[in-house]
Amino acid sequence: MIQLYRVSKYYEGVPALREVSFRVNKGEFVFITGPSGAGKTTLLKILFCAELADEGQIIIQGINAFRLTSSNIPYLRRNIGFVFQDYKLLPHKTIFDNIALALKVVGTPYGEIERRVYQVLKKVGMEEKLHLTPPKLSGGEQQKIAVARALVNEPQVLLADEPTGNLDPESGKDVFRLFKDINMKGTTVLVATHDWETVRKMQRRIITMAQGKVTDDGSQSSQHSLTTGSLTVDLGTSTRRTFETKP
Amino acid sequence: MKGYGLFYFIAEAFRGLRANSIVNLLAIGTISMAMLIVGFFLLIFSNVQNAVNSLGDQIEMSVYLKDGLTSYEKNYIFSHLKAEIGVRKVTYLSKVEAIALFKKELKGQEALIQGLGENPLPDSFEISIDHRYADAQRLEAMARKIVGYPGIEDVSYGKQGAEVLTGLYKLLMYGGTALALLLGVSIVFIISNSVRLALYSRGQEIELMQWIGATRRFIQGPFLIEGMMLAMLGSALAIGVLAALFYLLPQEVVLFLSRPNGLDFLPPSVITYIIMGGGVLGLIGGLISVNRFLD
Repeated sequence: MIQLYRVSKYYEGVPALREVSFRVNKGEFVFITGPSGAGKTTLLKILFCAELADEGQIIIQGINAFRLTSSNIPYLRRNIGFVFQDYKLLPHKTIFDNIALALKVVGTPYGEIERRVYQVLKKVGMEEKLHLTPPKLSGGEQQKIAVARALVNEPQVLLADEPTGNLDPESGKDVFRLFKDINMKGTTVLVATHDWETVRKMQRRIITMAQGKVTDDGSQSSQHSLTTGSLTVDLGTSTRRTFETKP
Repeated sequence: MKGYGLFYFIAEAFRGLRANSIVNLLAIGTISMAMLIVGFFLLIFSNVQNAVNSLGDQIEMSVYLKDGLTSYEKNYIFSHLKAEIGVRKVTYLSKVEAIALFKKELKGQEALIQGLGENPLPDSFEISIDHRYADAQRLEAMARKIVGYPGIEDVSYGKQGAEVLTGLYKLLMYGGTALALLLGVSIVFIISNSVRLALYSRGQEIELMQWIGATRRFIQGPFLIEGMMLAMLGSALAIGVLAALFYLLPQEVVLFLSRPNGLDFLPPSVITYIIMGGGVLGLIGGLISVNRFLD
């Protein structure tokens, strides 16, 4: 579970986030959308403890992020997978080594590493590319490897920042299909994206941001329900579900 | 077992050493030059120290007795002198023995003492001083104490010689320490630069490791080992070069330098200290760079 309460962040006095509040339940799939400069990346960085918020409260997996010491941040990150727009794969290492690094970092015994790398690559359909280096793969393939690396430690939360920003539409679809599968197995997924077309098709909760503020939460209905025939129903104070309706 | 220990860090450090082999070879070369100076100085220091020690052993103090002391009184003084700290040996020299010795020393010029008539030399005790206690201040204090004993006429010792020895020893000690400190700081600087280059060359990997949950210890471990290895390799190389120079010296030079105490190479314990000390300096250099980089 992720909960933010009136979170603000300033860069040299300029607000990047302004009193952002929302809650994401375990196993939810949430899109964070909005134009460039809306604060999507800052929000994900704060959730990942790469940036510190200046005001507000953040609870991630039951941990108060404000009370985390720098030596505890790595342990929180081990429960959160992160997928970057630019993949962040090490170009001189093989696909195997790139993924194995994530396992080594958390102290996985050597004997388990090979099996787990193979398993996760199989999950993303890339097990044949084990011994290649990233530059020999397409953008879509590299992003699948990045997703595999984010998943190899079986995190409870997956954060993705513009994961399809550098991909062609077909590769983008593959990556979102992966996110959907991961989410179906219980992982909470938060994706910051511009890709409104995919967002619309996937029929999940949408948090819309502009100028550092949440302007709409679960607003699929308000913006697109008439055209797509979807309806968002508030099932309580924090849980929203989106249902398909026939136009 | 969870977590990767020393073997992982060592393996990663070797990988790092191989990856930046040219930079690291230059670092090892530079460190070995600095360590060569340290080793060379230690070699001189240990040999000069041996020489100073043997000269120190030659320092003697003469305690002149008043005339007419009984043998009981002389024995009393003897036992007190023997009990003094730093006294290696006490020898009694009667006035008869003293004049005989004096005559022997003046061989060929006996005429100088012909007109003296009665033997003017007093009975005395000759004290040999342990070289560890042969510093000027200590000897002066000892002389002042002994001259206060009843039955003592006067005390004399090679004051100037002791002062020269003490000065030489202090010069070596302080000069050596200052030089070692200066070179130690240079080694830390060299290592921290080499490790910093390694850190920058693997910056992308380090950033990624931080993103995927690596602890500080996991990231810094290999770099610290790498710093230690660089410094230890540099130190070992310096010892090797020094040994080669020492053993390949022309025989005439060795004979010339060997007088009067013989010339020794560094003992194994000092070699171990140099290499281990290099390792500690490497660790400090590595820590400085890694902490700066990760903060």
